[in-house]
Amino acid sequence: MSEERMFRIPVGPQHPALKEPINFTFIVDGERVVDVKPRIGYNHRGIEKLMESKTYIQGLYLIERICGICSAAHQGCYAQNIEEAAGIEAPPRGVYLRTLIWELERIHSHLLWVGVAYHEIGFDTLFMYVWRDRERVMDILEMISGNRVNYAMNTIGGVRRDVTPEIVDNALKALDYLEERTKYYKKVTEEDDSILARTVNVGILKTEDAKRLCAVGPTARASGLKVDVRRDDPYGAYDELDFDVVVYDTCDLTARVLVRIDEVLESIKMCRQILQNLPSGPVRVKFKRKVPEGESISKVEAPRGEDLHYVKANGTEKPERYKVRAPTLANIPSVCEMLKGGYIADIPIVFAGIDPCIACTDRMLFIDVNTERKWMWTEEELRMYARKWYKKHLKEVVRERWKC
Amino acid sequence: MEVLELILLILATVLFPGVVFCTYYALFLEWVDRKFFARLQNRVGPWITGPKGILQPIADIIKLLAKEDITPNGVDRAGFVGAPFFALTLALFSLMFVPIASTSGILSFKGDLLIVLFISTVFGIIIIFAGYVSASRFSIVGTARAGLQFVGYEIPLFVSAIIPALIARSLTLKEIVEWQIAHYPLILCFPAMIAFGIFIVCSLAKLEKLPFDIPEAETEIVAGWATEFSGKKLALFRLSTDLKMLLLAGLATALFLGGPAPWGFTLPADLNPYLAALIYSIWFVIKTIIVVLIMSTLKAAFARYRIDQALRGFWRYLTPLSLAILILTPIVAYHFYW
Repeated sequence: MSEERMFRIPVGPQHPALKEPINFTFIVDGERVVDVKPRIGYNHRGIEKLMESKTYIQGLYLIERICGICSAAHQGCYAQNIEEAAGIEAPPRGVYLRTLIWELERIHSHLLWVGVAYHEIGFDTLFMYVWRDRERVMDILEMISGNRVNYAMNTIGGVRRDVTPEIVDNALKALDYLEERTKYYKKVTEEDDSILARTVNVGILKTEDAKRLCAVGPTARASGLKVDVRRDDPYGAYDELDFDVVVYDTCDLTARVLVRIDEVLESIKMCRQILQNLPSGPVRVKFKRKVPEGESISKVEAPRGEDLHYVKANGTEKPERYKVRAPTLANIPSVCEMLKGGYIADIPIVFAGIDPCIACTDRMLFIDVNTERKWMWTEEELRMYARKWYKKHLKEVVRERWKC
Repeated sequence: MEVLELILLILATVLFPGVVFCTYYALFLEWVDRKFFARLQNRVGPWITGPKGILQPIADIIKLLAKEDITPNGVDRAGFVGAPFFALTLALFSLMFVPIASTSGILSFKGDLLIVLFISTVFGIIIIFAGYVSASRFSIVGTARAGLQFVGYEIPLFVSAIIPALIARSLTLKEIVEWQIAHYPLILCFPAMIAFGIFIVCSLAKLEKLPFDIPEAETEIVAGWATEFSGKKLALFRLSTDLKMLLLAGLATALFLGGPAPWGFTLPADLNPYLAALIYSIWFVIKTIIVVLIMSTLKAAFARYRIDQALRGFWRYLTPLSLAILILTPIVAYHFYW
């Protein structure tokens, strides 16, 4: 059967399974998926451009709003980046607290994802249980930072708030509870037949494909690639912490669930080490609003994978260029590979398997598929192009619209 | 027929235990299902409308009735408008055969079990029809799944419903219930208890509840065959689903749990007929709630299966099992029950 005659199912930009706007066109043959065409760009908010008109301190709060779930990863990465460019160094207690927030965020993000994964395969009971337990880690975050989602904890030169001994005690207690529950979810995922029926050998991404398509984060680690910025290029306090990089080599969805559950356990371990060995001293140093001319790159391991920030400073209070490469963008080619050859019923869980964050992903990047030329446009250029294009194609467009 | 009797029959059909009672009771059962399911999941469930949210299903229906009623372009108009009415009418009609306020339903004749089962099959066909005429991609996929699931659960459901008839040696619901009153509820008999399990599992598939909500899996294909239905039509479909749940719970009660008759004691023959009707109805409510709670528990304990996995389960396990029981039943019944 030729491709034109096959059945096309649009999924997104609005769809109950995908909470964020992204569009996939699935070409299906019965229940089988033959081909996948992703289309991103529904959620472009112009944050990178907006960064250029904000001072470095204002930028902290804007960069946090790239993504609600990995807000600390983005903000911490930004703070780290500007510190490097400005040549200042955060004090050890500040670095430890920053790392603590990163790891707590990883726990909450991974638990959220595990719940969503159970929901996608229709196991709502477990979904509700996981999210109930996730409230405990949200409580710790609220205790430490005062916020549940956008913590606003980092600042350039350290963190904004300190922890008291009572907070440490309460957090350690909540971590014990979380560890016990997480172990239970691991047991359920490994043993429940109806979960295994939906996850074993589903959404295969072979190790060599993961390497070729540059998968990052838990997606890569579930395909047997031992990549983790925390281990490969230590930042924050990670070189002083004792932790394992979790790798599974079954390359399927079960591996992706188990990688995340195991990482939650590793994160709990790290949080305990941090809380028990907090160095004393100040939590931040002063930052003199201006950054000397130069460039800098910073990487952190966000819950979803490697998050890369680039800044070009020109000696003023504002950056000349700021660029963010969030992990989901790197995983989109991998997820298309996973979806091919699967069933329609597996689309939501496989897509959810990379823990997608479309808000992080969308960029104004144009790619001409024929010449493979890539370019970026400013708003004005885009407007000019649009005007020209409409002048040329007006008649066709009008005809097309009236026909419908 | 006397005038009074005719009036009573009309009242029975319309009010109690007919259309009005069944409708409200079905909505109440939906509330029981939702509330219990929510508590199993550590949620509160319906909470706002009425005490403990008991009026929520009615409020949902009223809200849907008030919504804009859209008929999309490209659908088969007559079929699209007619399908919800068919579904609702058939559900109400088949409930007339279920014994609620006495040992027989409002309508009762020789072999009525067969006609109830036949109508319950037509439900599946109406769903396929409704999805097919709505001309949407999600509906088409949902319809294909509904059809596949239909060929899976229908045979075990039928066979498991026939087994009580075999033991009671009658295809009439009234006589099956009376046999159970004279002896014991059939769920206590050896092959019939397995048939009860099969009946419950197939009922979940027929009602498209977890783990068999494959034809309307919301995370995969929006609402499956029901995607294009909105407003009044959706309200009618929702109501007919609730009525179907009542029908299947009522059938399970009549076939396996001794019908509306009380457990543990028999009503004296010279009892006031109105008082008897009240006692029967209360026991019917208790028994159907038990059946619904069993279904809710099963719903909470599983993840959704994929269509191929569900079909494999039906054809590899449930159908052979039900056929084996069908062969076994006359042998066992000959020795112990007849």
